Amino acid sequence: MNIGIVGAGQAACTLIAELVRGQFSGKILVFNGESYRPYQRPPLSKTWLHNPTDSELIRLLPEPIETHASLEWIQDHVVSIEPDQGVIAGKHGRRTVDHIVLATGTRAKTLAIDGLPADKVHVIRTLSDTIHLHEALDAAYNIVIIGAGFLAFELASSLEHPERTIRVLAKGIRALPKISVKAADRLLEETPASVRVGVTIERYDQDSTSLITNHGPVPADLVIVAIGAEPNTELAIACGLGTSEGIPTDPLMQTTHPRVSAIGEVSLHTQPHLNKVMRIESISEANDSASTLAKRLLGAPEPFKATPWFWSDQGKLKLQIAGLAARNDEETCLIDTQTERVVIRHNGDHVTAIEAANAAKEFMAARRLFEQGSISHKALLQAGSVFSLLQSSRS
Amino acid sequence: MPQLTCVDPNEQAINVAFEPGETILQATHRAGVDGILAECGGGCSCATCHVILTSDWEGTLDAPSLQEADMLSFAVDSTPQSRLACQVQLNGQHDGLTLAVAKRQY
Ligand code: FES
Repeated sequence: MNIGIVGAGQAACTLIAELVRGQFSGKILVFNGESYRPYQRPPLSKTWLHNPTDSELIRLLPEPIETHASLEWIQDHVVSIEPDQGVIAGKHGRRTVDHIVLATGTRAKTLAIDGLPADKVHVIRTLSDTIHLHEALDAAYNIVIIGAGFLAFELASSLEHPERTIRVLAKGIRALPKISVKAADRLLEETPASVRVGVTIERYDQDSTSLITNHGPVPADLVIVAIGAEPNTELAIACGLGTSEGIPTDPLMQTTHPRVSAIGEVSLHTQPHLNKVMRIESISEANDSASTLAKRLLGAPEPFKATPWFWSDQGKLKLQIAGLAARNDEETCLIDTQTERVVIRHNGDHVTAIEAANAAKEFMAARRLFEQGSISHKALLQAGSVFSLLQSSRS
Repeated sequence: MPQLTCVDPNEQAINVAFEPGETILQATHRAGVDGILAECGGGCSCATCHVILTSDWEGTLDAPSLQEADMLSFAVDSTPQSRLACQVQLNGQHDGLTLAVAKRQY
């Protein structure tokens, strides 16, 4: 069986590595729409932004796998797929395979701001985005980051410099709305940026090089838009396999067409941890969905069962989250010391996530507990820490 | 180039050349050593880059940071010689030393 993978990001590369290591017998065609060899994305907003010169450092696949004989790398933009025929059509040619894997990922959402010249606006999603941003930094003293999520704050801390003023402007009523107020507060203590919430941007004023907002003018030599991502589902939509929300799949990553699978941040499937159909943007989703598909293609299918997890670095602070909470889930602080803070997110007695700031042990214990099943809020409070609950569950 | 010998989970010994200054993860990744998942790509956030220093590395490395030690305490079959490959920076003193990839990352 020959397969064709559309995309060359984290999910595609995990699939490739597992297929090569599992001695997959067919050919693997990989359509890479970018002009770089596969690279890791998380460092783009973290360490790598300081010095984005050596892309070798963030290379995603080891040489022996990338150059394996079963792989054929095709640098092309895929413009359409024909599931019934197994055709993948790029700008430069068509190929036919037995199975198509959509690993098209997401793209950064953009924002049209009246009067703002294109060369002053940046997003961070790809390697070339980072390189462009880095080039523009020299002349930027007043940097505005629009957004309220992890990316906005990671960028703020990576861009910290004595000659720069960094401002984060958020539309909503609070920064970091996806995590608890208490975890967000801990993170906000560390940020070098000044943060303003409830901001609407009216336009950009060229003369004063400022964004005109409902809170008055905000100086901006450079604007970074970090308001989230949207899935690249056009190929799937065109053949009835998806919507702008994502590409629905079963727990084996199969779409509604038997010849097409979807993995990574585009796939929309039941998250067993939450018992809810949703699309998750994270490395864990990319890796776990790719592994699930790899097992199926290698003839040993096992349904997707992973619990999502996330992490974010803000200077000295490391925030690690096991599980995934809904925005209105309750929050209870479990541990709060000078260095550590651990917050439980829960829906009644059902724990949905553990947010651990500088508390790696608690985070790891939470991952292990989620793997074993659900966590009771009451039991956790009684145990006093995730770690002790894990230990008592083991004895 | 200095090099390490790395034994993968299938007991295969692989020569891993490295540039001083890079991490064990960067060097083993380039060499294509099997069994190191490194799910977080070197972020000290996943503990799936667990390796065991098998020859005498004594005195050539700083002790693990608190974060690394905490993560390591959850690695499967963690030993006093266990480290996270993404957190260990190599230098010339490490030429010729050996390590092994943990048999299981979780
Ligand atoms: S790669 Fe994740 S902890 Fe080392």
